[in-house]
Amino acid sequence: MQDQFIKMDSITKIYPPDTLALDKVDLEIQEGEIHSIIGENGAGKSTLMKVFYGMAPPSGGEIHFRGRKAKFATPREAVASGIGMVHQEFMLIPSYTVYENVILGAEPAGRFGTLRHADTKPKVEELVDTYGLNIDINSRIGDISVGAQQKVEILKLLYRDVDVLIMDEPTAALTPQEAGELFARLRGLNKVGKTIIFISHKLDEVLELSDRITVMRKGRRVVTVDNRGLDKAELARAMVGRDVVFSIEKAPASLGEIVFEARGLRYVDENGVIRLEGVSFDVRRGEIVGIAGVEGNGQYELVQLVTGLLSAQSGRVFIGGHDVTGEDVMARRKLMCYVPQDRKVSGSAQNMSLVDNAIMTHHRLNPEIEDRCEALLSSGRCRAFTSRLVEDFGVLVPELDAPISSLSGGNQQKVVVGREFMLDTDFILLDQPTRGLDVGSIEYVQEEVVRRRDAGAGCLLISADLDELFSLSDRILVMSRGRVVAELRPEATTREEIGEYMLGAKDAQEDWRAREEVGK
Amino acid sequence: MHLMVEMIRSSILSATPVLLAGLGGAYTFHANVFNIAMEGMMLIGAFTAVAGSYFSGSWIMGVLSGIAGGLVAALIFAIFVVSLKTDEFVTGTALNMLALGGTTYSLRQLFHVKGAFMSHAIQSMPRWNIPLISRIPHLGPILSGHPFIVYASILLAFVVEWHIFGTRYGLRLRAVGEDARAVDSVGVSSDRIKAQAIIASGVLCGLAGAYLSLGYVTLFSENMSNGRGWIALAVIILTRGRPMGLLLMSLVFGLFDGLGLSLQGTIIPPQFTQMVPYIATIVALYFYSREKRSARGGKETPTT
Repeated sequence: MQDQFIKMDSITKIYPPDTLALDKVDLEIQEGEIHSIIGENGAGKSTLMKVFYGMAPPSGGEIHFRGRKAKFATPREAVASGIGMVHQEFMLIPSYTVYENVILGAEPAGRFGTLRHADTKPKVEELVDTYGLNIDINSRIGDISVGAQQKVEILKLLYRDVDVLIMDEPTAALTPQEAGELFARLRGLNKVGKTIIFISHKLDEVLELSDRITVMRKGRRVVTVDNRGLDKAELARAMVGRDVVFSIEKAPASLGEIVFEARGLRYVDENGVIRLEGVSFDVRRGEIVGIAGVEGNGQYELVQLVTGLLSAQSGRVFIGGHDVTGEDVMARRKLMCYVPQDRKVSGSAQNMSLVDNAIMTHHRLNPEIEDRCEALLSSGRCRAFTSRLVEDFGVLVPELDAPISSLSGGNQQKVVVGREFMLDTDFILLDQPTRGLDVGSIEYVQEEVVRRRDAGAGCLLISADLDELFSLSDRILVMSRGRVVAELRPEATTREEIGEYMLGAKDAQEDWRAREEVGK
Repeated sequence: MHLMVEMIRSSILSATPVLLAGLGGAYTFHANVFNIAMEGMMLIGAFTAVAGSYFSGSWIMGVLSGIAGGLVAALIFAIFVVSLKTDEFVTGTALNMLALGGTTYSLRQLFHVKGAFMSHAIQSMPRWNIPLISRIPHLGPILSGHPFIVYASILLAFVVEWHIFGTRYGLRLRAVGEDARAVDSVGVSSDRIKAQAIIASGVLCGLAGAYLSLGYVTLFSENMSNGRGWIALAVIILTRGRPMGLLLMSLVFGLFDGLGLSLQGTIIPPQFTQMVPYIATIVALYFYSREKRSARGGKETPTT
């Protein structure tokens, strides 16, 4: 009955009122395989797993597990049957130790519920050893790296004795090294008999890891294939439904004058933690400067300093030759445009209409949409402006007055990007401009960025996606612990080298520490 | 010397309701429920305790109905905050106002008095004279002859300490306070734990109220909790919900309360002497926040 291990039969999921998230999906997973489910955002991969895992009831269809009909009402029931899932966002308590997080929910307790660690602590230690997880179970979650936190999530499931591990986009937050380590670990787990369901939208990962691959698109299963001699382009076509360009074509940079300069930026937050230290670099017209780094190493603060939302303790910021260090946000916005990291929070006002969102910032700076009486905005001109944006940037939109939240993520981002690019400034700050977008929209946004660069704008691109940095940047700066630790050319470096700099493992970082020791 | 003994004695007496309410609030604090309804729970408990004792003629029934009063108030709070997901602050404020108005109204309807209700029919809690200790000069009057709840509440502080930091429930409770979703993800209902925490706080606040009306004095007066629920909240924040800290800090509060009382009758106007414990609380909060700020500096590492 091996082929009956997990069998999903025409699973349908409708989110009220009428969103069809899953449309009669059939899926079979064999015992002991690594099965990847790949698809764009919104293809239904995560929804399918949520239905399977008891987090969302299916609207139709049946699931069989080990030959028996399974209907998990809660994740707990799924775990009890031997199925565990590592979510994209970790579910860990930061102030608890690794051990406490592992036992939470399945605590060993004696009389009156007093915790007893005598048996379980060695058991957890043993699991760590057996699976080579290499973590100290007594360290606090808040003190360990993202990669280590993911190990804790896996350890939690191993402690609960699961046979099936579902990994939902597990590499999203990892450095290339950590991702490599994760793959080795998953293969190890697979070797001792665990079945692994791997959800991803990254083709390379899936091709590297899996035994079989299921491609999903728009809530449907497109195909399930054995991973033997598969072609990346073919897989991408199945995923997106058309041919995809993987590398953005761009001409060599023709550098102009400096449009942005950071000089010796230092920022200490209210808790006294040094977030940025001695950050200096410049951006010239006609180039894209990428910033790589593990999240939380000063990129956020850097963006805030550039936009003027925070002010540095020392150092200066120049945009277009003007010293804007003491200037407010509005003064800076006249000189730069900015695509923020989170389109839902700072990029747009979700409940406001498309028109309102499209004219943001323009309503202060752009005379084109003003009424004859200058203090007012002309609603007709605002609409005309929005229509132009919609047309120029290919936004798919039901009507201009619909709230922006009714648009898909990709279209929302096109509105944000379009709005900013229509400010037509020489300096462009892009903070994770393609995060959470599907392949098609990523392609579009990236091409647009390159177009602006070729038109002579200077771009500063902060991204957690190394592929994006490699394909777009003319120079890559690596940030680690609030410092720029390396400046590299994409054609003369590798992902691994950047990864080492990101982790602070590479020499430049050591040099810096050594210098600091001497300084003390 | 006599004055000194009297002051310390009264400080223990006035520390008790703050300690009890604080221990209850420790549960909600660790579950990350912003429980400002303690004042109201306490007031309702004080009223129902008097009513229970008056009608049944038994102090035990009085204490039990005090607890029941706090419990009902907590259930209302829990239903709104946990099940209906209303704002904790607004709900808590509403409950406090309901408690104040409701007890005042009931006082008039049930006992036909205004201001305060006193009766010989109200049975107060018995006071315990501890043998041997009560004979020790000075120390005897301080430690002995209190209503039994005073001793029970000190014991309870240790029990709550163990319960929150040494048991399965405590581990889950504190986890809920930090990240409720993480607790849900391992199959434990965070809502249930939150509701349990609120109910625990209601029971203990009800007990604190019963102590106020049957232990401290034997009467019910309008608004007799008189800000003690708020003081308890401040003390919880000050001690970060550690029961041992609560024990200490509520004694400190009691001391200032006692100081205020003993300053009465001097040339200082009584309105000012009544302010003493509250001013002390504000000063303590100020020093606490300064302490916290300097302690945090440089310790936290940049994380995602």
